[in-house]
Amino acid sequence: MKFLTTDPVAVPSAVQYKRCTIDLQSGATTLEDVPCRNLEDVLGGFGRSYQVLAERQVDNAYCAENPLIVNTGLLTGSSAMTGMRTYFSGYSPIKGSKKGLPSAMWSTGSGKFGAKLKWTGLDELIFENCSEKPVYVVIRETVEGPQVELKPADQLLGLSTHDKIMALHAEYADAHFAVIGQAGENWQNVYMGAVALSTENQLKSGEDKCRFAGRGGMGSLMGYKNIIALVAQSADKLKPLSPEVKKVNINVVKGGGSTRLQPISRGGGGGTWAAYDVMQAFHAVPLNNFRPQGNDLPEKLCRENVEQDYEIKSEACYRCGITCHNNVYAKNADGSRGEFLAKFDYEPLNLLGSNLGIHDAGQAARLIQLGDNYGMDSISLGVTISYLLSYNERHPEKPLLNGASFGDYEKIRDLVIRAGEGELPEIGRGSMRLSQATGETSYAYHVKGLELPAYQPETNPGYAWAIAGGHMSMATYGLLTREGKADIDSWVKGITQDKLHMVGFDMIGLCKFFDIANGIGTQMVVDCLKSEFNLEIATDDIRAAVRRAFLRGLALELRQGYSKEEFALPAEVYEQPNGHIQLPQIATPEFLDELQKRVWAVFEPELEALSL
Amino acid sequence: MGHKSMKIHIKLIGVFRSGRFKEQSRDYPVGTKVQIVVKDLMLPQKHLGIVLINGVHARVDSLLQDGDTLSLLPVLGGG
Ligand code: SF4
Repeated sequence: MKFLTTDPVAVPSAVQYKRCTIDLQSGATTLEDVPCRNLEDVLGGFGRSYQVLAERQVDNAYCAENPLIVNTGLLTGSSAMTGMRTYFSGYSPIKGSKKGLPSAMWSTGSGKFGAKLKWTGLDELIFENCSEKPVYVVIRETVEGPQVELKPADQLLGLSTHDKIMALHAEYADAHFAVIGQAGENWQNVYMGAVALSTENQLKSGEDKCRFAGRGGMGSLMGYKNIIALVAQSADKLKPLSPEVKKVNINVVKGGGSTRLQPISRGGGGGTWAAYDVMQAFHAVPLNNFRPQGNDLPEKLCRENVEQDYEIKSEACYRCGITCHNNVYAKNADGSRGEFLAKFDYEPLNLLGSNLGIHDAGQAARLIQLGDNYGMDSISLGVTISYLLSYNERHPEKPLLNGASFGDYEKIRDLVIRAGEGELPEIGRGSMRLSQATGETSYAYHVKGLELPAYQPETNPGYAWAIAGGHMSMATYGLLTREGKADIDSWVKGITQDKLHMVGFDMIGLCKFFDIANGIGTQMVVDCLKSEFNLEIATDDIRAAVRRAFLRGLALELRQGYSKEEFALPAEVYEQPNGHIQLPQIATPEFLDELQKRVWAVFEPELEALSL
Repeated sequence: MGHKSMKIHIKLIGVFRSGRFKEQSRDYPVGTKVQIVVKDLMLPQKHLGIVLINGVHARVDSLLQDGDTLSLLPVLGGG
């Protein structure tokens, strides 16, 4: 990026980012320095990509007009801790309105690809049209500036995400990679394809420790465009750590905000996996397609039980002191560490474990690993399978597909494999389409076409207003459980004021774990921007830009045909209230009606004032 | 008067159990607030996310009553 001002709020156009537009049909590439239109453009990520998407009317995710935008945030590749994020944006194959129009979507992941991409000198790639033949894209730093080249990718076809990365690594030793798995290659039948991002640990150890931009099928969109992989090749270009950024980084690690994510051995909470214990205390861990039974079955996947049979190692992305990964390894007979199995995060572990009736850690690990290797979003995959199992339970006389039932590991494994191979569009196209086909939509746990993460919808009406995934684009999942808020005022305020701010992390290039409670409108971020780029931006300006970006996301949803009724929770939540969940029952039709009225009363005037 | 004690049933969740216990009843003087129990158990304050008294959300400065069940949970956050 070029900074010709210190005040990007007053003169955003004096900040320019480097974009490369690639016409996949002709192979032509266009490099340009693009002046920013506003602070959202400066911050980057979806704040910028959504403005590009808003300029286009796209009626089908798989059409030439739908771009795939790959970009970074302002602090990606900087010395600010967690500054590793890459963003993938486009109109989603999986998330869409009942009218049949695709929703704008972004997805993000860590790993080192984002920093490497930034260090090539490029801030954004826009892929137009489709390539006739499978290609991979090499973005490299040269003395003349960044260069982009398309190369034949036939040799990569059919490989898993990890194997693609390792094959490319053998050829490009100093690069990092973003790849799709077989699922993305089978985009016609798999709408939940993820993009896998390589990590230092993976390249060094040879173990499949990718990070994923999973949500919304951006890997399927990449597959549709016939892009099998992206290679970012450049030297590492970390600036020396300034005293200001050093102070911020220490605060990120020691200040308390990320403590729960840090390793237990360092006095931390042990990553997102710890949510199992907390949610189980309320009997709110999803079980058998989001129907907790008030029993202790989910405890089998709590850390203290898994630890007895498996070795757990805390690891991190490049340079990150938060160290939030809990990598699970088999234990050899002599007690030493065996084969790497999977990374245990709350969402994949639950949605490919307890919520499928799988309570064996080794089996859950294998399902997570399989989904990752095929390159599927673990949330969409798990929830679509749990829908199918629930359907089969209700129709024992006429079950669907292989007749799998809750807890039947072998048959569930078979579903994952065949979905990844593109043989089961019923699974690969997600729970909304499957439930529409069966005619039983009430227990399909998606909102607006995107499957729910592992927080019971009974505890989170805020899902309705999440714009890109239930827990990562609206932070209300803890409002009832953590904060005990059961009154309508707190929920209106949560949705319309405080909790939408978490999307700021998906603009600026940082992990949410940098400061999940406060968002990016903070002195820590202001100090980083000043130290890294000499930019003077006030916290209020950052917050205003994040709010505009969020509202643009809502406006785009409405433009893609969503009716207000689609901003709702799965009907089973009201039709069959779950008495086992030990929290106040706020998800009643009355509460949600009132919430609808009051939330839209806040958002609507602002949406009218916002030009797309 | 000041020596009167009350019985508090304490439930610890997740990492808080490590080196401590799952459930235990303890005696505390009348007028004890949650924070005294937290201190007594040497729970790291920065980890304390949720306080429940008899299953209802409470705060560290909430007063305990004889016979209360106090649940102490670590911070919850998604991902
Ligand atoms: S917080 Fe976790 S995912 Fe984010 S950069 Fe650090 S180790 Fe990676």
